[in-house]
Amino acid sequence: MKSKMLRPLILNLVTWSLVLLISFPLLWMIVTSLKPQTELFRIPPTWVPETVTFEHYWRLLTETPFLTFFRNSVVLATSTTIFVVGLGTLGAYSLVRFRFRGRETLAMLVLFTYLLPSVVLIIPLYLMMVNLGISNTLFSLILAHTTFALPYALWLLRSFMEGIPDDLENAALVDGASRLGAFKDVIFPQLLPGIISTALFTFILSWNEYLYALVLVNSESVAPLTTGVMTMLISAFNIEWSLLMAASVMMSVPLIVVFAFLQSYLTSGFGAGGVKG
Amino acid sequence: MANVSFTNVRKSFGDFTALESLDLEIHDGEFVALLGPSGCGKSTTLRMLAGLEFPTSGDISIGGRVVNDLAPGKRDIAMVFQSYALYPHMTVGENIAYPLKKRGLKKPERDEAVRRAAELLQLEPLLNRKPKQLSGGQQQRVALGRALVREPRVFLLDEPLSNLDAKLRSYMRAELIELHRRLGKTMVYVTHDQLEAMTMADRIVVMHGGRVQQFDTPDAVYNRPANRFVAGFIGTPPMNQIEGTVQGATFVVNSHRQPIKREAFAASLVDGPAVMGVRPEFVGIHDSGDGLPATVRLAENTGHETIVTLELPDGARIMSRVEAGRKLSVGQPVILRFDPAGIHLFEATENGARLNLDIPVAATLSQSA
Ligand SMILES: Nc1ncnc2c1ncn2[C@@H]1O[C@H](COP(=O)(O)OP(=O)(O)O)[C@@H](O)[C@H]1O
Ligand SMILES: [Mg+2]
Repeated sequence: MKSKMLRPLILNLVTWSLVLLISFPLLWMIVTSLKPQTELFRIPPTWVPETVTFEHYWRLLTETPFLTFFRNSVVLATSTTIFVVGLGTLGAYSLVRFRFRGRETLAMLVLFTYLLPSVVLIIPLYLMMVNLGISNTLFSLILAHTTFALPYALWLLRSFMEGIPDDLENAALVDGASRLGAFKDVIFPQLLPGIISTALFTFILSWNEYLYALVLVNSESVAPLTTGVMTMLISAFNIEWSLLMAASVMMSVPLIVVFAFLQSYLTSGFGAGGVKG
Repeated sequence: MANVSFTNVRKSFGDFTALESLDLEIHDGEFVALLGPSGCGKSTTLRMLAGLEFPTSGDISIGGRVVNDLAPGKRDIAMVFQSYALYPHMTVGENIAYPLKKRGLKKPERDEAVRRAAELLQLEPLLNRKPKQLSGGQQQRVALGRALVREPRVFLLDEPLSNLDAKLRSYMRAELIELHRRLGKTMVYVTHDQLEAMTMADRIVVMHGGRVQQFDTPDAVYNRPANRFVAGFIGTPPMNQIEGTVQGATFVVNSHRQPIKREAFAASLVDGPAVMGVRPEFVGIHDSGDGLPATVRLAENTGHETIVTLELPDGARIMSRVEAGRKLSVGQPVILRFDPAGIHLFEATENGARLNLDIPVAATLSQSA
């Protein structure tokens, strides 16, 4: 009788301490971004700001290239997502629907490239960009992000595609549709949840990516948020904590919004990835 | 005219030959069933006719025109899939209208055609539902509706009833027969269920191991099976096959001498090993007298008949069909006598050909198409 009461209590306690532990940095980030400079390093720290101020946000938006970084990040993540989902959908379709020699080997090979650590690829990729004459451009970064996001997207979309029965497409073909028509009318609507979750994964990956951006791009006008904000606010002598926290909050907002609306697709993506190996 | 012909069609998947040298001539308006055990190549045959698979060699034609290189949508066929393959994101109405839309019909014409099809299949109250909200039987009717809305020249059906329960299946059998009578279109129907093939088809293609074993009327397939496979596949229970030896005017099995009329069999029947085929209804069970001694192993009374399993001294099993309520106990020794009218002889090889010379009178039954 006693243990029956105790069990849920302990479970709840554990769960909530975990939630608190994980969310503490986020909460502290928000709190810090709202404190005036004078309150920042006070000991003991104030858990709730005595005076709430938006001056750091204002400074960030008016006095720094934050908005340029933000725009770059949006362009970067959006373009990468479009490339990856477009190529991934076509690739997954042919991997699933067409029988050709070496089909399975090809799929495994693609997965293998996903397993390679990105640092291994980064220098060759940089040299290629230089040779192509597109180094230090946003486009080079889009290409780079596409190369590392595509393998996983392909596998994710492949497992979604495998869930769509062949006969659905066959029925459309018999009913008079062309292959492209059958794809548009029948496959695409069935694949849409898969496409959305793949797009989300890709967008988040590209939005948060740091290493490639650091190596491939070094001018302020084309830097995305991750590297732009860091190099701007962190120097060897000083870290602008208030601004950094304000920037971090604003960087997280798009992801939080996206997540709030499309959460169910994201979790279904996690499921689909595990269906087949 | 929508006759369908397969001329010397072969189909391999890599090294595996699914169909070897298929020759079929299906008449306009005929209801033909492709019947055989799972994996014998029925679906492959149908899918080649639909244009979803391509023959490795040979020609397929519809209405006298070779369609080998024609896309499925250009063959003027409609197909009902075993899984129904209804488009999950479209309503019932949109599903049925889809083939018309793909052929460029205007909305008012589409609506009218959908309405007619829905009326025929009693789908009117369901037109705005999604396939997921329908029962199996209703989904089946939607799949039929989508097939017949366009009035194609040939209907292809791949095990359309296999996902329904027994009661609904027998109801839909009657519906399909009625539909075929009303539309008068050529139908090619794949099934592994001999009851469906026997009751619905004008003619049956019995397939096995990638080959056509026999292509004939249900009556002929039952009464004059071309070989041992057909004899052993058609009928529940199927034809008994008893190994023995032909000696002059007798077939000898376990020292029992069954008289045979040599003139009723092909000249290729020579003295030596052969297989005698007898349907269970021609196996009489007696208490004494002349005949083949056997032991009763099982007597199953179905209410209108009794199916008896018997064992010969050498361990071979024989099935007999006798009247309901016949008293037989397990282990009881009996004497079997075969009705001479029901005796078939086959070559002793694994799928030996039947050697009976059939009396022409029976042919009047076979040409109903
Ligand atoms: N796409 C394919 N690739 C390889 N083998 C296949 C393919 N389709 C069918 N087969 C093989 O061909 C044979 C006939 O298949 P099918 O026509 O589907 O048989 P069924 O008579 O049960 O409908 C089976 O042995 C099957 O495994
Ligand atoms: Mg099949």
